[in-house]
Amino acid sequence: MDVDESQLKDFKLKPMKCEFNVLSKSDGSAILSQGETVVIVSVNGPLDIKMQSQSIEKATLEVLCCSKGGKPCVADRYKENIIKQTCDAALLSNQYPRTGITITVQELEDCGGLLPCSLNCACLALINSGLAMRCVFAAVTCVVDEQGDIVLGPSKEQLDTARAVLNFVFDSRDKSLMTGFTEGSFSEDTYKEAMERCRVASDLVFAFYRDIVKQYSKIIA
Amino acid sequence: MADVYKLIHPVKFCNDYLSRNIRPDGRSFKQPRSIKINVDSIKTAEASAVVKCGNTAVVCGIQLELSPPKAEEPNVGFLVTNVELPALCSSKLKPGPPSDQAQVVNNIVSDIVLNSKCVDLKDLCIVPDKLAWVLYCDIVCVDNDGSLVDGCIIALMASLKTLSLPKVSYDAETEEIKVDPKSRTKLEIHSFPIVTSFVVYRLNQSNIILADPTAYEEDICGGSGTNLIVCYNKGLFCGTQKFGGSNLSKDCQDDALKTAKERANIVENIIDVCIRNHKNSSINE
Amino acid sequence: MPLDYKRFNGPEDSISYKRFTEDYIKSYDQLYQELIDENGVRKDGRAVDEARKMFAINDVVTQAKGSAYIELKQTKVVCSVFDPREIPHQNEFSQLGQIYCEVKFAPFSCPRKRRPHAPEAEERALSVALRKALEPTVCRHLFPNFQIDVFVYILEHDGACLAVAINAAGLALASAAVPIYDIITACTIAVIDGKMIMDPTEAEEHLAIMSPETQTNHGLITMSTLSQLRQITDFRQIGSLDVDCVTKAMDLLQKQCMKIVPNIQRVLVSNVIKYHKERKKLEEEAREREEALNKKMEEWKLLLNAG
Repeated sequence: MDVDESQLKDFKLKPMKCEFNVLSKSDGSAILSQGETVVIVSVNGPLDIKMQSQSIEKATLEVLCCSKGGKPCVADRYKENIIKQTCDAALLSNQYPRTGITITVQELEDCGGLLPCSLNCACLALINSGLAMRCVFAAVTCVVDEQGDIVLGPSKEQLDTARAVLNFVFDSRDKSLMTGFTEGSFSEDTYKEAMERCRVASDLVFAFYRDIVKQYSKIIA
Repeated sequence: MADVYKLIHPVKFCNDYLSRNIRPDGRSFKQPRSIKINVDSIKTAEASAVVKCGNTAVVCGIQLELSPPKAEEPNVGFLVTNVELPALCSSKLKPGPPSDQAQVVNNIVSDIVLNSKCVDLKDLCIVPDKLAWVLYCDIVCVDNDGSLVDGCIIALMASLKTLSLPKVSYDAETEEIKVDPKSRTKLEIHSFPIVTSFVVYRLNQSNIILADPTAYEEDICGGSGTNLIVCYNKGLFCGTQKFGGSNLSKDCQDDALKTAKERANIVENIIDVCIRNHKNSSINE
Repeated sequence: MPLDYKRFNGPEDSISYKRFTEDYIKSYDQLYQELIDENGVRKDGRAVDEARKMFAINDVVTQAKGSAYIELKQTKVVCSVFDPREIPHQNEFSQLGQIYCEVKFAPFSCPRKRRPHAPEAEERALSVALRKALEPTVCRHLFPNFQIDVFVYILEHDGACLAVAINAAGLALASAAVPIYDIITACTIAVIDGKMIMDPTEAEEHLAIMSPETQTNHGLITMSTLSQLRQITDFRQIGSLDVDCVTKAMDLLQKQCMKIVPNIQRVLVSNVIKYHKERKKLEEEAREREEALNKKMEEWKLLLNAG
């Protein structure tokens, strides 16, 4: 797959802002805004849990997604599954056998791209909680617009009018694909190009993570 | 003997097979299981299909109802798909309301159907703002032996392909509705999504993908259900999902996309042939 | 009805299109004439006392310990039985093992209306009936404090679904190697206007219940028996029937139940033969492999000794 070099360098994601330790009672928490979309995540664990749900090999991960309306729906379970599977792959959960780890995701404002924002925020909250992790991960969104061009970090209007929305989550170590989910129809070439561009763009997210952690480590010191 | 070995050393058992380039059930890595389709066997549903992919058995039935369309979208009908995983299909499920896994599968299937736009919802509208069809597509899994989404979509597409809508006359003044079940028109199907599932297995520092996994292979690869779902729809991809399991390398991904493409063409043919055979046999009767 | 948050819901006020067809409103007499002609021949060509042909196989659900699928023409039922497990949420010791039964209709299984997903009264009643029928059959004293799950799923309902569910459950229990006293079989009879109709279809069942007359006999009876022990495990009757009619119906049902037994036995025996053959073949293959290995060993030994 050859991607135009100039295209690879010329992009920007939606502006991100993050704060750690927003919740005083939880083991780790973060609030993240990507553009207009805002999500707050709290991580608790390792905790004592019921005998039935304990696993002798690893910690049992539980993810709760709460939408702003408060009413549960099938789509929420799907989001929980994606976040859970991604965090499960990133956490070194075999270090905490017979315990439970709970991740609670609360939507504050959804202006498109809620799930990638939740994933990034969950990753930040996990970093903040100090649980052992194999790697960190970054979720990047892009859309294929009406003309068939790939746009990274789309706005709400772009998301609404897009032909396809592609989301990818990359691992911080070798930038391999951890999770991916898409909407709409697209060709194979578009898929591969979109993935390459998101892969490059994930660097920005990782750099952002590093900045945030640096900023907070100074406060502690 | 093999059963005991499988129970005591599950990972080693699997590795022993896979390192010799063969899967525990004797298939090669990218070989899907055989598919059997039987259309229109359930007479209480308007259209139905029974699909078996290896041991996985899925039944889909479509029922028709009438309802006024939503006020926001007066010229659009309804397509409601639900995947049911009753407790009898697997020992992991307990009776009660749908489990989280069932809801995830349900969401994936519904997403694929909507993304592929195989049914134009405007075709389901009878009189704008007054009357529209509601297609209830219920997909029931009878035996869950992995790659559930594949089976669900095949069953659903085979049922939709055989569905015909009865003629409805609507009197605008008296609002009287009359349905003639004898004169029917076929529902137009605009696209043909076919799903192929994979699991990603980590073997000796490298990743391999297994197409159309069984429930045992899904378990051994971690995560709930399959790791990679690729939906191919007449030249375009509509919906790929990857979660859980090992990370996906570039080569594996290319392989998976290629396998999915090839399989989609084969499965499409199988469905068409089954429907044609069914039509011929019903004419002969 | 409360909204189901765990499924996708359609519009609230949708109605089946069958409501608007001409067939929807038909009187009792019209339906009666349609189903049974003056010579006592039924719509599907059967005589009044003739049951439908049964198709039965076991081990259809590979994930279950034992399972069965039974088809009576359009009535199609799957049943699976799982390994005994500890009774959940119970602190007391129970001397006898428990049987947990769940009967579910597929949403598309009924000709008249769409079934809701949430369990309704009819499903619960069928589950209880099935449990009551199976309890005297299973040797429950052999697994105290444990429960056996029996799940029945009705894919298509065209009458006699409780009887078919009991037959399927009996077959599934036997193929799951759960100890039982005897093979359980069941069948249903409908009484319409004094006439005994064996193994009714859904339309005939409907007719038997909706009869406007109160003077004549009408109703439905489902009975399950243990054939060798000559015992009745469950007897269920709806409608208004006099004593003579009930005893007559019981005789007919008993005979019909006996007729089903050899069929079930044949399925079980053929299964045993099949597994026996498979096992023999596997043993044969294992022996061949062993021989080949031994030969290799000899060769190597020779080589070792020589060199």
